[in-house]
Amino acid sequence: MKLGKYIIDKLLLIFIFIVSYFIIFLLLVSFKNSYLLIISITFIYIIMGSLLLFIPYFEKKKFYNELVNYVNLLDKKYLILEMLPKPSFYEGEVLYQALYDINKSMAEAVKMSEDNIEDFKEYIEMWIHEVKIPISSLTLLCHNHKDTLDKSYLEQVKRLDQYIDQVLYYVRSNYTEEDFVIKKVELEKIVSSVLLKNKDDLLAKKIDLFVDLDHIFIYTDSKWLEFILNQIINNSIKYQRKSVKSYIKIFVTDSKDFVTLHLLDNGIGIPKSDLSHVFKKSFTGENGRSSLKSTGMGLYIADKLCKKLGHKIEIESVHKKSTEVRIIFGKNKYYTMD
Amino acid sequence: MKKIMIVEDDETISKELQNLLKNSSYEVEVLRDFNHALEKILESKSDLILLDINIPLLNGEALLKEIRKKSNIPVIMVTSRVSEIDEAISISYGADDYITKPYNPTILLLRIQNIFKRIDHKIDTLTYLDLEILPSRGILKRGNDELILTKNEMIIFQYLVNNKGNLVTRDELMTDLWNNNEYINDNALTVNISRLRSKLSFFGYSDKIETRKGCGYILL
Repeated sequence: MKLGKYIIDKLLLIFIFIVSYFIIFLLLVSFKNSYLLIISITFIYIIMGSLLLFIPYFEKKKFYNELVNYVNLLDKKYLILEMLPKPSFYEGEVLYQALYDINKSMAEAVKMSEDNIEDFKEYIEMWIHEVKIPISSLTLLCHNHKDTLDKSYLEQVKRLDQYIDQVLYYVRSNYTEEDFVIKKVELEKIVSSVLLKNKDDLLAKKIDLFVDLDHIFIYTDSKWLEFILNQIINNSIKYQRKSVKSYIKIFVTDSKDFVTLHLLDNGIGIPKSDLSHVFKKSFTGENGRSSLKSTGMGLYIADKLCKKLGHKIEIESVHKKSTEVRIIFGKNKYYTMD
Repeated sequence: MKKIMIVEDDETISKELQNLLKNSSYEVEVLRDFNHALEKILESKSDLILLDINIPLLNGEALLKEIRKKSNIPVIMVTSRVSEIDEAISISYGADDYITKPYNPTILLLRIQNIFKRIDHKIDTLTYLDLEILPSRGILKRGNDELILTKNEMIIFQYLVNNKGNLVTRDELMTDLWNNNEYINDNALTVNISRLRSKLSFFGYSDKIETRKGCGYILL
């Protein structure tokens, strides 16, 4: 609260005060009072006027300065009422009460919206568990009737399952705080189950695998990491380069502070201009546009999950030559609890 | 013949699961009466239970806990919930394995087989006719005659021996190999089989691995 602006604000009052002084002055002069009386009254008038002007100023200044200050300092500005002492003057009380009511109504609106999201999330999770049952039946049916059924049935069922997993992990990456469990796991176990999941595709597309994981253990949520790796392997399969003998190399490098998992393929690569956007939501890029199956969600979700788990995901590519995805696991004491 | 009990409330799944297991020469019983699940399971004298977590009346994890109080029969938990927490709970209640829907049927069969192998201590003492198989050392021997098998050949041979007399598909062999972190391709599998054949002929068993065209192999 600035004094200059406060005075400008009170100009009307000051003006009335001065006018009233002149009227009194004129009255005193016209009734021929002594100069001493006139000077005394003038003196009292100035003191009273100043008090009337400045006492409220200092009273309000404390409250409003605190208000402005806290609003600037606070990250979550709606928490202002938690910090602000109750004002001792009427105007302040009115403002304080209004802030309180606004806050309360906002909190209710936010709560309602949170509840809605929570309901929605629960419903989606439940729906996913439900829909996995018919998918299981279909998988079993395809397997039991593989003599008579074409392979493409099973492929379609697998695609269905993958899209459903994408929804599940999208919900998990966006709407949950702590839905994962960090445990010590052998990297090979997770990689192996992802590769097994994609075995038929990898074999059918004649993609050779070179895996060397050196019995390394990491701290992660194995289900989440499985999903992340599945997205990456799926991309390698989807963006295979037809003119060469395709391969995927999976290996680790181990340093003092990090374990880095490398997934390297000799696929069609990513154009330089697209590379910085691959983790963006719904980004499909040049490669995605030429393949109808791209949703632009896989890497976006993978990146979000990595961030939540405290891993880092990086991508490097030479267009028309190779792509390498790296996942970096910190050896932070926070995770290892050593 | 090993007996497996299916605890699963979805009709189609339990029917197809039954077919799958019967085709792999297991005896199968399906739990129908969920009111007396525990008693029925204990009465059935099964060798393994496939237990779904979402079953009527009682939840699968609670049922597992009850079973464990009375029996240490192997249990594989089956669920459509993909979460580390659920898995940890099941394992802590004493499940032998945990598999999420939709599962690859071949992998399910492999997991079942692995549990039975572990129970029957077949891991280190396996024989085929008069041949002794030492998987941990990668050796095939008869008396003083020894031959070294590569890791891949050993995995394939063990699988064939465990399913002796039955048709083994290439997909099953491939799944077992990949499950053991040997990610070989189709050509390599063919090469491995023919090497295995020639190693067997060293012991005079030259025509024991028969090829069923388009299906797989049978070890006689």
